[in-house]
Amino acid sequence: MERNEIVRFVIPVVVVVIAILSVVIFAGLASSNPDGFEWALFDFSGVPEPEGTFEGVWAFLGEGSVVEALTGAVGVIVVLVLGMIVFKALARKG
Amino acid sequence: MHVPDGVIPLALQILMYGISLTALYVAVRRVNKRLSEKTVPYIGVLAAVVFAAQFVNFPVPPSSGHLVGSTMVAVMLGPWAGILVIALVLFVQAMYGDGGILTYGLNLFNMGVFSCLVGWALSLLFFKGLKKRMGEKTAVLVSTSMASYIVTVAAAFVLGLELQTVPGFGLAGLLAITSIHALIGVGEAILTFVILLYFVKARPQVISFLSDSEVRELANAVDAPWAEPST
Repeated sequence: MERNEIVRFVIPVVVVVIAILSVVIFAGLASSNPDGFEWALFDFSGVPEPEGTFEGVWAFLGEGSVVEALTGAVGVIVVLVLGMIVFKALARKG
Repeated sequence: MHVPDGVIPLALQILMYGISLTALYVAVRRVNKRLSEKTVPYIGVLAAVVFAAQFVNFPVPPSSGHLVGSTMVAVMLGPWAGILVIALVLFVQAMYGDGGILTYGLNLFNMGVFSCLVGWALSLLFFKGLKKRMGEKTAVLVSTSMASYIVTVAAAFVLGLELQTVPGFGLAGLLAITSIHALIGVGEAILTFVILLYFVKARPQVISFLSDSEVRELANAVDAPWAEPST
């Protein structure tokens, strides 16, 4: 893995992705409608939505744009690092 | 398309875990030592982009949708590496409460195993038909976008079939989830085109369909991830 490639490509892309994500969240551009699955199941078919299930590791932070943007940014970095660790382990050396 | 816990019968969840874990095992075997170490940063970035794109929903009245990205990653990295990327993204999302822990196997099957394998196969079929008419770069964009649309609708249909095990869902529900994803698929195709366009312009060498082509000759720093190790 070339360190230059990380500096030239990875970091700028990740910064841009986090910036776009934050703008979408803070500007309220993300839809608050139920997603296609939820709409079809819970709204259209009238199946009761399950309660008391695991709400995620960040549930204790509550809700809001700041929390969403922050946890989203953390998630992007976590996925990036995990992906690099997993695929580095699987890649051939050299 | 992320199914939470508490909806699907346990027997189906166990079955889907079995299928998905088997597919993951095969994926690891198929990918192992075939990727160049130099491509690892790109794969990490791709996974991060997919996570971010799945994080926010775009409006599709009366519903909403988000990018799945399975066809896109399958075209870029090959179907097996694509499954691994989606598995990773879905795992972190499950930790975020988006999609259940017990339904992880089912979600991975729908958005990873099924979508990557079918998306890759359809894209390849379209790509082979289109590349002589419009050039490889345009063909990979068009074929992947078309396949991503079909796969989004097909995956929703498969999910609708799985939801037949849920009392109250029924055939009307199957029709509803499939038809709403016929609209959501348009967004999937557009986002796939835009994100893939960036990689086609910036790093064409990481797109598997463009291997053994004139684009590969332009690759200056990075080996193609699908290349066999030199002996």
